[in-house]
Amino acid sequence: MNSHTITHRQLFFLVVQTQIGVGVLSLPFSLFTKAKIDGWISLIIAGLLIQFSILAIWKLCDRFPQNTIYEILPKIMGKNLGLVFNFIYTMHFAFISILILIMYNSIVGKWILFETPHWVIIFIMAAAGYYFITSSPREIVRFFVLVTPLLLILFVFILYAYTDVHFLYLFPVGQAGILTIIKSSSDAVVALLGFDVALVFLAYTTGTPAKKIKVISFASFCITVLYAFIVFTTYIYFNPEEIVIVPEPVLYMLKAFSFSIIERTDLIFLSVWIISVATSFISYLFITAKGVQTLFKLKDHQKGAPYVAIFCAMIAIIPNEKLEVLIWNKYISLTSLIFSAMFPIVLLLIAMLRKKQEKGAASS
Amino acid sequence: MTFFKKPKKLIQEKEAPIQQDSPQEDNSKDNESVTVQKLSLDEMLTKVKEPFSATEDLLTHEIELPSDKSRIALLYIESIVDKQLVQSMILNPLFVTDKEINFASFKQMASIDLKKHTEIKQVQELLLQSNTLIFTEDTSCFYAMSTPVKTQRDITEPDNETIIRGAHEGFIENLSMNLALVRKRLKTPRLTVKYLQVGKETHTTIALLYVDNICDPEHVKEVDKRIKSIEADAVYTPGNIEESIEDKPFSFFPQMLSTERPDRVAANLMEGRVALIYDTSPTAHVMPVNFFSFYQSVDDYNKRWHIGSFFRFVRIMGFFIAMGLPAVYIAIVSFHFEVIPFGLILLIKSSLEDIPYPPLFEALLMELTIELIREASIRLPTRIGSTIAIVGGLVIGDAVVKAGLVSNLMIIVVAITAIAAYIVPSNEMSAAVRILRFPFMVAAATLGFLGIVFGFLILIFHLCRLYTFGSPYFAPIAPLNLADLKDAFIRAPFWKQNTRPKDVTAQKVDNANHTRKWDKS
Repeated sequence: MNSHTITHRQLFFLVVQTQIGVGVLSLPFSLFTKAKIDGWISLIIAGLLIQFSILAIWKLCDRFPQNTIYEILPKIMGKNLGLVFNFIYTMHFAFISILILIMYNSIVGKWILFETPHWVIIFIMAAAGYYFITSSPREIVRFFVLVTPLLLILFVFILYAYTDVHFLYLFPVGQAGILTIIKSSSDAVVALLGFDVALVFLAYTTGTPAKKIKVISFASFCITVLYAFIVFTTYIYFNPEEIVIVPEPVLYMLKAFSFSIIERTDLIFLSVWIISVATSFISYLFITAKGVQTLFKLKDHQKGAPYVAIFCAMIAIIPNEKLEVLIWNKYISLTSLIFSAMFPIVLLLIAMLRKKQEKGAASS
Repeated sequence: MTFFKKPKKLIQEKEAPIQQDSPQEDNSKDNESVTVQKLSLDEMLTKVKEPFSATEDLLTHEIELPSDKSRIALLYIESIVDKQLVQSMILNPLFVTDKEINFASFKQMASIDLKKHTEIKQVQELLLQSNTLIFTEDTSCFYAMSTPVKTQRDITEPDNETIIRGAHEGFIENLSMNLALVRKRLKTPRLTVKYLQVGKETHTTIALLYVDNICDPEHVKEVDKRIKSIEADAVYTPGNIEESIEDKPFSFFPQMLSTERPDRVAANLMEGRVALIYDTSPTAHVMPVNFFSFYQSVDDYNKRWHIGSFFRFVRIMGFFIAMGLPAVYIAIVSFHFEVIPFGLILLIKSSLEDIPYPPLFEALLMELTIELIREASIRLPTRIGSTIAIVGGLVIGDAVVKAGLVSNLMIIVVAITAIAAYIVPSNEMSAAVRILRFPFMVAAATLGFLGIVFGFLILIFHLCRLYTFGSPYFAPIAPLNLADLKDAFIRAPFWKQNTRPKDVTAQKVDNANHTRKWDKS
C-alpha cells in the first residue's frame, strides 16, 4: 500500500480529470431542454449541492482512514448487508464506466468515425482502460497530472467564441422560474459526477483530512466554474432557438471556427476531449476493479481487471439506437444520482448513529 | 630475465606479511622517530587511504629492501598509473642493481623524477594525478614519482555523439584509460570505483562508478546486486549487461543512458547517478536515468542558455514529430480531410490523385527505404557512404515521385520525420522513436485521430509507469516536479541549476551553484 499512495495535490488532479468527461459536450443542450436559458444557474446550484455530497464522502472516509468504500460498507452495515451493498456499488461504478463508454461511442460515431463498427470504438477504449488499471493509483494519477495542461487547449478553443457572442440572449434572467431551475440542477449533478471516486481514492491519499477536503472541494469548484463557463458561452453564442436543434452545442460552435491552419477545430477539440473521457473511464474502471477485488477476495485488483474491462465493453455494445442510448443515459444517471451523490450522506448518518468509527480516526 | 624474476620476490613479500616484525626489530635506530611520529608505516598507510572510501583501484605494494631489510610501501591508483613505468623506474633500480643499494642511494639515483613531500594532505591530489607514492619507515615524509598511463588508441571524439563545443574526448577500449578520463574530470576522493566481474569464462571486468557522498547508496546496492546475479559463461558486450539488468526488457525505451563521452558520464555522476564502464568497450552506461537524460547534450551547456533551451525544446518536439507526423498525415489524408485549410486542399488533392495505393502503404514504403539507406550507409566506409546517400536520397526520392509511386507530400513528411528522429543525442532513443512510429502509422490508418490519441495515451502511460532502478522514468513531469523542469524541456542557466534532480534521490540535493554572488552586492 505504501508505494501506492498519492498526495493530496495529486488527488486534486484526479478529481478534476474524473469530473471532466462525456458530460461537457451535451451538458448545455440537456440543461437547456429543462431550464431554458437559465441552465447555467442550475449548474451553479448543482455545484453547490455536490459540495454537500463531497463533505459527506470526506467525513465518511475520515472515520475510516485508509479504507475504501468497499471496506467501509461491511463495517457500518454488518457483514451480509455490507456484501450486498458492495455488490451494488461495484455494479454502480461499472455502469458509470459503461455509460461513459456509451456516450463516448455515440459522440465518436457521430463526429469522427462514421463507418467504423461501434464495438471497435468501444473495445479500443476498454483495452486502453485495462492497460491503465493494471498499474497502481500512483502511476495513474501521475498520468492524470501530466494530461491536465491539455484542458487549457479546450479552454482556449472555447474562449475563441467570444469573438462572436451576444449577451442579450441571456435576458431576462430567471425566466424559467426558480423551481424549474432547481429541479433541472439534478441533470447538472450527473455531469459533475466524478467526485465520488474519492470514496475509493481517499484511502490512498496521504495528508491531513483538512487538506483532503480542501482539494476535493476545490477541484469540484473549479470544474463547476469551467462547466458554467462552457454552458454560459454556448448560450450567448447560439440563439435560444438554435440550441434546441444542436445536441452538442460545443462542437457545433467549434465547427464554425476556422483558422488559417486548421479548418475543423472541432476535430482537434474532440481528440483532446477523448483523453478527458479516457481519464474518467479509467478512474471508474479502477474503482470497479477494486470492488471486484473485494467481492471475490482477490489478492490484487489486477486479477479482475481484464474481466471488468471486457464486461463493461460487452454491455456498452448493447444499446444500438439513439433512443436506446438516451434511455440508458436516463437510468444510469438516475442511479448515479442516488448512489454517488445522495447515498454517501445516508451512509454517513448511519455511521454516525451507530457510532461506527475506526480506532485511529480522530473523533468528530 | 631479471625483469621477470624480480617481481616474484615482490609477491613473496606480499604473501608473507607475518615477517613484518623482523624489520621493525632491525630498525632500532628508527624507533625514536616512530615514537615521535606516533605512526608506524601501516598506520600511515591506513590513514592515507582513508579518504578514498572503498575504491578498489587504490593499490599498495609493500616491499622489503634486500640491503638493509627496511620496508617501503608503494601506493598508487592502478587505473591511472602505468605499471611498467613503476616497474622500470622504481622496482627495477631497487632490486636489479647490486645488493648494496638502499633507499638513500635510490633516492639519489632517481632524484629528477622523485619528489619529496611532507604534507599528508597532498597525498590525495598526488595519487589522483597518477603519481606513485613511496612510503618509508620514516613516516615524516614520502616520495612521489609521476607514472602516468600511456594511451592504447588515440582518444578521439565518438562519431555517434559529436558536439560543436566542449571536450572532444571519448572513451576507448581500455578500462583503466576510461576510468582515467572520468577521474580527470572528477578529482574528488569520493569518486568510488568498484570492480565487478561477470562471465564465468570471459571474466569481463566492469567498473561501477559513483560519487560516494552524493549518490544514493540504494542505487549502488541495486546495480551491484543485479550485476552479481548474472550467471553466464560469456558476457561479450555492454548490450548483454544492459539486457540483463534493465527493469522492463519488453519496453522499446532504453532504460540506461549509453554514452561514449566521459564528460557526460562525469556530469551524471555528479548528479548522483551510477555509471558502469566496461573493459574492451568504449560504451558506458549511466543509471538511473529519466526520459529527458537522453535529450540532454553536452552542447546545451556550452551555448548561451536561451539558445541551449531552444535547441532542447526543438529536440523534444523532434520526439513528437518523429513519432507522430507520418501518423497525423496518414490520418488526415485518409480520414479527416476536413481539417486541412481550404487553400491547401487542392494542392494535396492534386498530389495524391494519381497514387494507386493507400497512404499507409505509401508511408511504409518510404520509411522502410529510409531505414535501408541508413543501414547501408553504416556498414559502408564513408566514401561509399556518400554514394549511397546520393543514390538513395536523390535518385530514389526523385524517381519514385516521377514514377508516380509516392506522392510529393509523403516524401516531404518522411524526410522531416527522418531528420526529427536523428536529432536525439542518444542513438538508442532515436532507434526507439523510429520503431514506434510504425505502430502509430498503423493506428492512424485504421482509426484516424482516434488511433493516434489512443496510441499516445498508451505510450505516455507506459512512460509514466516505467521505473529504472527504482526511480521514475518520466520524471520530472510524471511525477511532476516543477523545480526539476529547469533541465528537462529547457536548459536553465548555470546559476539557476542549483539543485540535483529529485528523481535520483541524491544524498546532497544542493549542488552549491551560487556562481553569481558577485552580482548581488
